[in-house]
Amino acid sequence: MQLEQTLAKYFGYTSFRPGQKEVIEAVVEGKDVIALLPTSMGKSLCYQLPGYLFSKPVLIVSPLLSLMQDQVEQLKRLGEKRVVALNSFLSAEEKRYALHYLEQYRFIFTSPEMLLQQQVQEKLSRMELSLIVVDEAHCISQWGFDFRPDYLRIGEWFMQSQRPPVLALSATATDKVLTDIRSTLSLQAPFEFIYDVDRPNIHLGRVLFEDKADKASWILHHIQKTAGPGILYMSSRKRAEQYSETFKQAGIRAAAYHAGFGAEDRQFIQQQFIDGELDWIVATNAFGMGINKADIRQVIHESLPSTVANYMQEIGRAGRDGKPALAILLYSDGDEELAKFVTTGDLPATIHVDRYQELMMQNVLPSQMLKNGELSETAFRVLDYWMKEEPVEQVKIRLNNLALEKYQSIYEMQKIAQTKDCMRRLLVGYFGQNLRENPENCCENCGILYDAIIKGRTEVNLKIEMVSWENRLKQLLVGL
Amino acid sequence: MFQQILLQIFQKLNNERTVSAAYHLLRGKRSGQTIQDVGLFQLHAYFGLLPKMTRATFDAEVHTFMQYSWLEIQESGHYYLKKLGLQRAEQTPDFLFDGWHYRGNEHVFFARLSLIIQSLSYQRAGIRSFSPISKDPQVQAWVRAFLLDHSFQSGQLQQQLFDECEKVLATIQLSNANKQLVLYRLSGHGIPGWTWQQLASERKETVLDSQLAFIEVLHTLLNEVYTTNTYPLLGKIAEGLRVKALLTDSAQQTAHLYEQGYSLAQIVQMRRLKQSTIEDHLVEMAMNEPNFSIGAFVSYTDAEKVWQASKQLQTKKLKALHEAVEGMSYFQLRLILAKGEV
Repeated sequence: MQLEQTLAKYFGYTSFRPGQKEVIEAVVEGKDVIALLPTSMGKSLCYQLPGYLFSKPVLIVSPLLSLMQDQVEQLKRLGEKRVVALNSFLSAEEKRYALHYLEQYRFIFTSPEMLLQQQVQEKLSRMELSLIVVDEAHCISQWGFDFRPDYLRIGEWFMQSQRPPVLALSATATDKVLTDIRSTLSLQAPFEFIYDVDRPNIHLGRVLFEDKADKASWILHHIQKTAGPGILYMSSRKRAEQYSETFKQAGIRAAAYHAGFGAEDRQFIQQQFIDGELDWIVATNAFGMGINKADIRQVIHESLPSTVANYMQEIGRAGRDGKPALAILLYSDGDEELAKFVTTGDLPATIHVDRYQELMMQNVLPSQMLKNGELSETAFRVLDYWMKEEPVEQVKIRLNNLALEKYQSIYEMQKIAQTKDCMRRLLVGYFGQNLRENPENCCENCGILYDAIIKGRTEVNLKIEMVSWENRLKQLLVGL
Repeated sequence: MFQQILLQIFQKLNNERTVSAAYHLLRGKRSGQTIQDVGLFQLHAYFGLLPKMTRATFDAEVHTFMQYSWLEIQESGHYYLKKLGLQRAEQTPDFLFDGWHYRGNEHVFFARLSLIIQSLSYQRAGIRSFSPISKDPQVQAWVRAFLLDHSFQSGQLQQQLFDECEKVLATIQLSNANKQLVLYRLSGHGIPGWTWQQLASERKETVLDSQLAFIEVLHTLLNEVYTTNTYPLLGKIAEGLRVKALLTDSAQQTAHLYEQGYSLAQIVQMRRLKQSTIEDHLVEMAMNEPNFSIGAFVSYTDAEKVWQASKQLQTKKLKALHEAVEGMSYFQLRLILAKGEV
């Protein structure tokens, strides 16, 4: 229970995400730990929370400067002042200061390069740490796709007999990489937590349609007769707004959400959803990051997500309280074409490469293309980057390959939408894991009863009425 | 509300300008022309109300006006309000905007107030960590300092701020519905704010109109806070947001040299700027500085003639006045009009 209290006190959450608690318990017990958790599953909490239980500093070795900066800022936002990033951004003066007072920080972030410096090593050898965290630990392995040789050089540093426990974190690792992590970091019988991709409490529905109109009426009917809270993912901002409008007119407490709204408005929608003032969010894929709502019962995809990883991440927002939840994928023939259109919209095409070349010859700034609205901003950035890096023919090949990769990802997703076998087995297999058992109401192909998973929409939640400015002011500051 | 504001601006600029003048005014363009228009036609209220309005939004509204037969555009590009448009303009209520003095800073005030109220609401609920409603690091740093300065840990600040907000809102002469609108853009623990779309649909108006009503409340509230000095907390939150120096930066430099006794020709030399630019600055000074004397450039008798002509011909058009009063340069005419009748 103590862990939950610390979680609420310093981070404002009431429950752990899958895996976090097991990892934190092992870390607190002083074991060496390897934790493989997917991105956005709250890896950093695994060392942040223990930091508040230990009396000595936690050292975090992080290979990416930008990632390090993000994590430092995140901690500062949480009100932590005793945090420092020991990296090449520091001036000589700042570095001297940080090293001098190093024992007094709670979290010390540093890079493998920095750890190779003699003054840093000397300082660290003279002080006590409670934990060493190796972030993005797959970089240690020569088998890892972004291998960092500096990690090998700091290996001996971990061989000392008196070192504190080590926590190795990564989002992805194969068996070979795991072996490398164990040996390079000299881990002692580590506790290993390997995140299970399968979420047995999320039941996988799928409905096939002949045409779009059927789909639209199915959605309205389904949302009118079943209970939320739920998220309906749409492929475009405009459609998200249209659907949300239809739902509101049908008396459903819904709101649209996409990146086109201002930051405050987006936060208001999230908070209304978390506080139970809304039953449905009709969203583009911009919705979800940082949403911590445990009781989402349904996630419906109106159109095909662009990758299986996105799909897993989006349906993974359901049922975080461990209770049954339903994910329904809606598919009609040809949906993949729309998905292709949407995902390659941010990719420059061969004609854009030629046009870029043409403008350069005429001594016109290529950004003119952007001003003319010939391609999207993201597409232009991609094009501009590669045109400065590589010869034209190479860029064309590269862009072509990028498009093919995107098509391939969509095809993988399409297979899940069309399969006649177990959807769960296919999904889990995509991430290189084996499904241990099929839960009851596993998926559309194994047999599924929606009514056994979700409740009917019995009580009609009334629209929230506005109160007078005087009462609202009271609610906000002094209580009614 | 947007339509009514636009009607009022078009009425004041009637026959004198193209529709674009109203667009630049609402966006708060810092050009000599727009700033002069503000003074000449008394448009202070509307300056910079909508800094992010797109030309498309503006043009669509002008198009609507033409469809309603409120407005017509002449071949010269100037517009004029038709009889129906003038009637409609007469029927619009008086608004309490003060764009000239806040120029978008009302949003900084509200960002500070939102974060303070959100922090106090969470503090009262005993929760230390939340996602701040303002992501702006400057606003966050400002609010942190404010909360510490007012020892928010004691738990007294909520009541004090409540009292001030209640008092100022009760004092200002605006509808309860508009005050309610502002309160619903605030949020706290378990009390989410409402989005512009939600508010506009509840109020049965456009998002733009809701946003304008919101700005009007803030301008009125800020003016009450600044003029009465009886709101210590709100006064602090509004600190530094009312624009004091009414001149553009460049005009400020010219003013500095002019006050030191340098002549127009000397300033042109010293600043390596065009004479017309320095003239713009002097006109701006004539408009905004009550103590600025135009005596160095025109005689009182000449000024008198111009004022008379302007009244007789019912115009502030420089070309017409240039023809009516002989021997006056455009610079002199602009100075005289900017100064206004003494």
